[in-house]
Amino acid sequence: MWLPLLGLILGLSLGLLTDIQIPAIYENYLSIAVLAALDTLFGGIRANLQQVYDDKVFLSGFFFNIALAAGLAFLGVHLGVDLYLAAIFAFGVRLFQNIAVIRRILIVKWEERHIKKDENTV
Amino acid sequence: MMKIPLQSKKNNKFTRKQLIILIVCITTGFIIGYSYKLTKNHEKINNSYIDQEESYREDLIDQQERNKELAEELNDLQNRLREYEKSFAENEVEYEHLIEEAEKLRLLLGIIPAQGGGIQVTLKDNEYNPNSTNPNEYIVHESHVLSVINELKISGAESIAINGQRLKSNSYIRCNGPVITIDGKQYPAPFVIEAVGDSKTLVSSLKIVGGVFDQLLSDNIVVTIEEKNLIQMPSINDEA
Repeated sequence: MWLPLLGLILGLSLGLLTDIQIPAIYENYLSIAVLAALDTLFGGIRANLQQVYDDKVFLSGFFFNIALAAGLAFLGVHLGVDLYLAAIFAFGVRLFQNIAVIRRILIVKWEERHIKKDENTV
Repeated sequence: MMKIPLQSKKNNKFTRKQLIILIVCITTGFIIGYSYKLTKNHEKINNSYIDQEESYREDLIDQQERNKELAEELNDLQNRLREYEKSFAENEVEYEHLIEEAEKLRLLLGIIPAQGGGIQVTLKDNEYNPNSTNPNEYIVHESHVLSVINELKISGAESIAINGQRLKSNSYIRCNGPVITIDGKQYPAPFVIEAVGDSKTLVSSLKIVGGVFDQLLSDNIVVTIEEKNLIQMPSINDEA
């Protein structure tokens, strides 16, 4: 349970401490990568809660999504079309959907537990 | 409603899953942290840029205001200069006149040495006339000298000297028996009156009919008038 949190903190501190400078043009890609990573992360959590979690899907989805988003942005920059908007839109929508599903599942779980408690106490 | 059964805790699979979660979480955290840091840096740079720009702009405005002030000052000064030039141009002719006049006045005052063409008038006592009982009838009086000098002045003599004594504006000539006192110095006859000026004018004015020359002759005085090309007179300061 603490492992993902630990990993996040570790990654955050690593990211804050690194002193790599990248050209300003590639910062767009980074923001999309953030979105993709968050989307995949929440997707993984949802899948886990829905019992459809799969290692391969999760890991491949994570890196593939990031790569695809970055690739789209790259293509968009070079074509002069704001293709990264598509990635942001898709990931944004999916992020919200995933979070909504997670919320519902958690609510259901919480209610079940509550009912059980009530049955036990009564 | 979904029922969530307990996860089967196969040790191998669990650790693998954990590892994947760890990797993903670290990567996500890294990306988020890194982009956060980048954005912060950017903001900092942007802020410093903005500050710099602001200060530069203020400097620029200051400089422009200063430029404006200086330009106004320059305009003012140029206007003043033009006024000066205008008045100078107006006065230039006047200045020349004034300088000439000043030179003339200095000559008249005798404070600078005079030289130039002019005439020399010599007044001599006539030879003793035994027929005459009054010696005043044939000696030169100061009135004769005065009239000659007056006539010379009238006809535009720039400077006059008697026996080498330069006449000043406040010079006096006094009869003192057989001699004449000029500014306290006594001179006997003959009297040599030198005058710098246009010699022709001077001579003709002296020799005008019924003028000084005739008057002197009628008073039995020996008068000689010479035109001279160059007469040199010292200034009164030199004599003193």
